[in-house]
Amino acid sequence: MRKYAVIYSSVLMENLQYAANVALGFFGYFVFIFIFIKLWGYMYRTPGELIAGYTKEQMIWYVMMTEMLFFGSGAASVAGEVAGDIRGGNIVYLLNKPYHYTLYVLTKYTGEWSVRLPMYAALAVVIGVVMVGPLPRFPLAAVPAMALCVVLGLTINAVFKLCISLFSFWIEDTTPFQWLYNKLIVVLGILFPVEIFPQKLQPLLKMTPIYTVCYGPAKLIVDFSPEKCVEILAAQGVYLAVGCGLMFLIYGKGVKKLYVNGG
Amino acid sequence: MLTAVKNQIRVCSLSVKYNIMREMVNKVTFLTNVGFMALNNATFLVQWMILLRLRGDVGGYAMREIMLLWGLMAASYGLSHILFARAFSLSELIIKGKLDAYLVQPKNVLVSVLTSSTDVSAIGDFLYGTVLVCACKPGMGGFFLFLLFVVTGAVIFTAFAVLMGSLSFWFVRMDMLQNQIVMGIVSFGTYPDGIFKGVSRFLLYFIIPVGMAVWHPVHVIVGFDAGMLLTVLGYAALLAGISVTVFYRGLRRYASGNLMGARV
Repeated sequence: MRKYAVIYSSVLMENLQYAANVALGFFGYFVFIFIFIKLWGYMYRTPGELIAGYTKEQMIWYVMMTEMLFFGSGAASVAGEVAGDIRGGNIVYLLNKPYHYTLYVLTKYTGEWSVRLPMYAALAVVIGVVMVGPLPRFPLAAVPAMALCVVLGLTINAVFKLCISLFSFWIEDTTPFQWLYNKLIVVLGILFPVEIFPQKLQPLLKMTPIYTVCYGPAKLIVDFSPEKCVEILAAQGVYLAVGCGLMFLIYGKGVKKLYVNGG
Repeated sequence: MLTAVKNQIRVCSLSVKYNIMREMVNKVTFLTNVGFMALNNATFLVQWMILLRLRGDVGGYAMREIMLLWGLMAASYGLSHILFARAFSLSELIIKGKLDAYLVQPKNVLVSVLTSSTDVSAIGDFLYGTVLVCACKPGMGGFFLFLLFVVTGAVIFTAFAVLMGSLSFWFVRMDMLQNQIVMGIVSFGTYPDGIFKGVSRFLLYFIIPVGMAVWHPVHVIVGFDAGMLLTVLGYAALLAGISVTVFYRGLRRYASGNLMGARV
């Protein structure tokens, strides 16, 4: 574990040097939030109206939190870079190191979002408080549970994206599959809470990674309840175990197929 | 003069043709990129089904208008990225001093730069947009208007990207900002203009050219208005003119990166 802690701290230090670059991405986040404030402002026509059990403020905060996770996590390390390492042959230099390649990538990724996410969280809170108003009845005491749920959600997302990237052992370009995975997460989890979908679809959506990756953490922040927290954490535990099993399996099978030309 | 223009167009066509042929070397990857991009765009119909289930319209747009909006946006974005993909990474070329290879060519510098790359997945965007608009049954006149607005939309996107990219001649770190502002247009352009009011609406029509690229064209296709049509055509020509002027003004300040490279 110590070697991964060293990798984490070195990536963290490196990213702290370029923290100002993260701020350049704030414009994109602001555009999305601005659009959703306008959109939900149009959809809610009377004050206090509920849509799928959410007030206008809760709905906008939900989108702000899910978008914060999406923008703040930036998944280049587990998507494009892994695929590039495999396709370009760079993986050869990483395989002979005294760590497991997939855990190395996950640790590196965690070091990256440890700088990005808090910056986006701060921006989200400022935009939310100024443009929407503070969240009513926000339980400060539950912040550690929410933070744990966010960390698990990001890790599960990274594991699944890494699994897709590992298919580069068999196919040349996995980018289109990453697009599709991203879009499913965006459309079914980031833009709307699960409750907004037809009743029949909701149990199905709760069985997908969307429930643990974005709905769970955002739901807890917007409308916390201890029962919901336990339910989401349990689902995340199961998903993380299954995802990691899948990741090691794909990596184990893929690495045997690796064929690198000299250069 | 006419011969020079003809030659330039011929070089551009060949450049785009060879870009696509190079990408088609691996057919499976090419087809996957195109197909999945179309599928990727299609997932957003779910978003609008949900929103329109809650309210009969969003910002005055029903499903047909939403499909026209998405179709026009996707096809214009697609066409600009098929023909002029390099416009969207112009900042990077300028900052890294990679323009040298284009400066020594006997053809127009800006056109050579713009047509030097093709984004294959944009073919998926273009096809998706065209199919979506056909599904709206716009009629013969509507379809010709759509084709015209795809061209004006592509000109507006490209010109705006060139304008933003050219600012790199004066300012550093414009590469990230160029990308974000251009993607901002795409984000705004996939939502109805009816949800934006006041200052934001004015900005989106005249400063960030979303209104002229997609919203006005959708209004013209739904209910023909010659005034709006001429406004869009005029705006596209004006923006193209401004972007070309700014690029060449900035080019005078360009300093080579002493980067060794060749374009074959």
